[in-house]
Amino acid sequence: MSDIETFYDVMRRQGITRRSFMKFCSLTAAALGLGPSFVPQIAEAMETKPRTPVVWVHGLECTCCSESFIRSAHPLAKDVVLSMISLDYDDTLMAAAGHAAEAAFEETIEKYKGNYILAVEGNPPLNEDGMFCITGGKPFVEKLRHAAEGAKAIISWGACASYGCVQAAAPNPTQATPVHKVITDKPIIKVPGCPPIAEVMTGVITYMLTFDRMPELDRQGRPAMFYSQRIHDKCYRRPHFDAGQFVEHWDDENARKGYCLYKMGCKGPTTYNACSTVRWNGGVSFPIQSGHGCIGCSEDGFWDQGSFYDRLTTIKQFGIEATADKIGWTATGLVGAAVAAHAAVSVLKRAQKKNEEA
Amino acid sequence: MSDTPRLVVGPFNRVEGDLEVHLDISEGRVAAARVNAPLYRGFERMLEGRAPGDALTLTPRICGICSISQSAAAARALGAAMGLVPTDQGAMLAALIHAVENVSDHLVHFNLFFMPDFTRPCYAARPWYPRAVARFAAIEGQAARAAIAARAGLMHILGLVAGKWPHTLALQPGGVTRTPGARDVLRIQTELRMFRKHLETQVFGGPLEDFAALDSRSALMRWDRGDAGLFLEIAADLDLDALGRGAGRYLSFGAYPLAEGHGFAPGLWQAGEVTAPNMAAIAEDLSHSWMLGGMAHPFDGVTRPDETMREGAYSWCKAPRLEGAPVEVGALARQLIDGHPLAVQLAGGGVLARVAGRLLELARTQILMEAWAEALDPGAVFMRQGNLPETGEGAGLVEAARGSLGHWLRIEGGKIASYQIIAPTTWNFSPRDAQGVPGPLEAALVGAPVEPGEDSPVSVQHIVRSFDPCMVCTVH
Repeated sequence: MSDIETFYDVMRRQGITRRSFMKFCSLTAAALGLGPSFVPQIAEAMETKPRTPVVWVHGLECTCCSESFIRSAHPLAKDVVLSMISLDYDDTLMAAAGHAAEAAFEETIEKYKGNYILAVEGNPPLNEDGMFCITGGKPFVEKLRHAAEGAKAIISWGACASYGCVQAAAPNPTQATPVHKVITDKPIIKVPGCPPIAEVMTGVITYMLTFDRMPELDRQGRPAMFYSQRIHDKCYRRPHFDAGQFVEHWDDENARKGYCLYKMGCKGPTTYNACSTVRWNGGVSFPIQSGHGCIGCSEDGFWDQGSFYDRLTTIKQFGIEATADKIGWTATGLVGAAVAAHAAVSVLKRAQKKNEEA
Repeated sequence: MSDTPRLVVGPFNRVEGDLEVHLDISEGRVAAARVNAPLYRGFERMLEGRAPGDALTLTPRICGICSISQSAAAARALGAAMGLVPTDQGAMLAALIHAVENVSDHLVHFNLFFMPDFTRPCYAARPWYPRAVARFAAIEGQAARAAIAARAGLMHILGLVAGKWPHTLALQPGGVTRTPGARDVLRIQTELRMFRKHLETQVFGGPLEDFAALDSRSALMRWDRGDAGLFLEIAADLDLDALGRGAGRYLSFGAYPLAEGHGFAPGLWQAGEVTAPNMAAIAEDLSHSWMLGGMAHPFDGVTRPDETMREGAYSWCKAPRLEGAPVEVGALARQLIDGHPLAVQLAGGGVLARVAGRLLELARTQILMEAWAEALDPGAVFMRQGNLPETGEGAGLVEAARGSLGHWLRIEGGKIASYQIIAPTTWNFSPRDAQGVPGPLEAALVGAPVEPGEDSPVSVQHIVRSFDPCMVCTVH
């Protein structure tokens, strides 16, 4: 494996200066919520560790995850995307086409067997033996299983890979199935959202590449650093919710004043994601800021919960945020998350160790 | 036919979604082509029985690249059913939002999807080859990097006024949910200025107005600046005008509907004349699709996949026809139907015409967007409230980057009774119809040269990509 370059080699080859590299390391640390003391650690890891190959495959999906990803405002985003990660195989962005592309795919997963991260965008449809999504003459589900075999970990990008998303909406014509229900023997990190926020995607992948392990996950397998708070918790319109000031119609005076969108069907109170803090398209805004409620696109089953414009009826209001029961649940949740995260790290470590022995 | 060599080309990379092309080869040329869209998701069936407003959330997720076009079509279809049109300023802001996505698509298509094919080793002996590699080598080319950065900047506009992209929620039947403030307007204008700078320094190498003023093929071919100049040099060297020529029948639903009319006019172009298209004469033929049912107008159409994948059919894609014949859609169609003199001269052309049409539209749309941003009035009303009928129907006809996109909606008992979508690539990449008439791409591929030993002919790659296909939209 000594012929694999380090990240730093790759970045230098791309003409990135040492200064920019250090800036990238410190901004990465900040983005991941790590203190300044982690900066040298990140820098050292990138200078000395062999670059972890990433194989990015697409199933039944709309490519919105890739689209979000390549628009990241993350430091040096275009370089991060196009060089540092050096996607060894990507259906949409790569140069090769047709049979050459299929050959490149086989070569990549063989060369880096046991050592690469498999990033999955979209999901496999299982109806009719998978015939609704055919790539290279074979059902995508076969390609997914094949690619997963040699992966040390899997990233499920977006709501499609994590939960099924709208293509799994009733009646789920193609039986679109999330990745974790097809691949059961690999550590999987879910990064839901339709699409996920670009900075969340680059943050997660940078963390995994830098520290060679999964970030802390919650009970659902999502990275806790980005999915531990509800949109509602940090929403800038929250004071209006607490004050009982609501938009009643799209064109009313309250809409112009930027009141709370809860009555317009906003799902912010039940949605765990970083939209209200990290925001979108370079941190400029997020759906609620544009005057439309959250649809909860990072939550499992968001596509089949009644109309997107129906008001939530199960949430507590006006400051009554938690009951004794709920506090108990939260505590259990934390323990569960810690165990899951630990398990994931162990599996990664094991997979790696086996690889070194081999 | 049994001794005709057959070639299956696909999967295509750097194409949105999955695509397979079956070719019959005869004497070094493509004799016949069959285009298969191998991905099916069944969006139309999921929409049935849902609250009509949910189409605004579900249909954009057909495609992560042209999601705003899907939003715009859904909003217009619902609006038509409600008897509601956006306020004047709402329509203008919606047009700006939509145009940002369309120009982003054109920019990405040119830099990331189309031009990298000229960096293939088979062109190594050409005089322009080293420059093409430096600019467009996949992942590492300078042009692609600059384009991604410029596009991310431009899309700040979508962040500002549409909340997020992809899958924006701000477009509604009555307008746009966001009322932009004076600060937003200023920021929009700044982003547009920066994008213009990118276009003028990298893509065109000169003022946009100069490129938009080109009025003939010879004037176009003399343009030698920027990446556009490099493309035109390559196009002249490889005679890309002759490659993949169109049948000369074009459709546009009209782009950017505003109070004072469309940004780019609607129409049907055939035999050199523009007429008003008869929307009632649109029908989808299923004779070569793995779909059940008969030929029908989209208001009456159904989407029932034929799970036996019967013999004789070869695609999940339906074959839409206007007055019984196929039409080509896209930037070239829009520009020539809008009457631009350069585009009119390019009518019926091949790879060169389609790509030049896209570049022309890129320049012209930037100029439109700047005018709209200038005219935004923060004090105006951007959204109008309406009520959904218990029973009704409506069509939403818009122009996505890749061409004409239609949503046809029927509401019964307050729920969606039927929802049919015809996407741009459904028109362009349609299979044969019952008369055996091939779709526009299938027709354009006939005659493409295939060199001995080529298993993925580069000419086919150029032709396919010149349409800028979006396969996820094609079969939804």
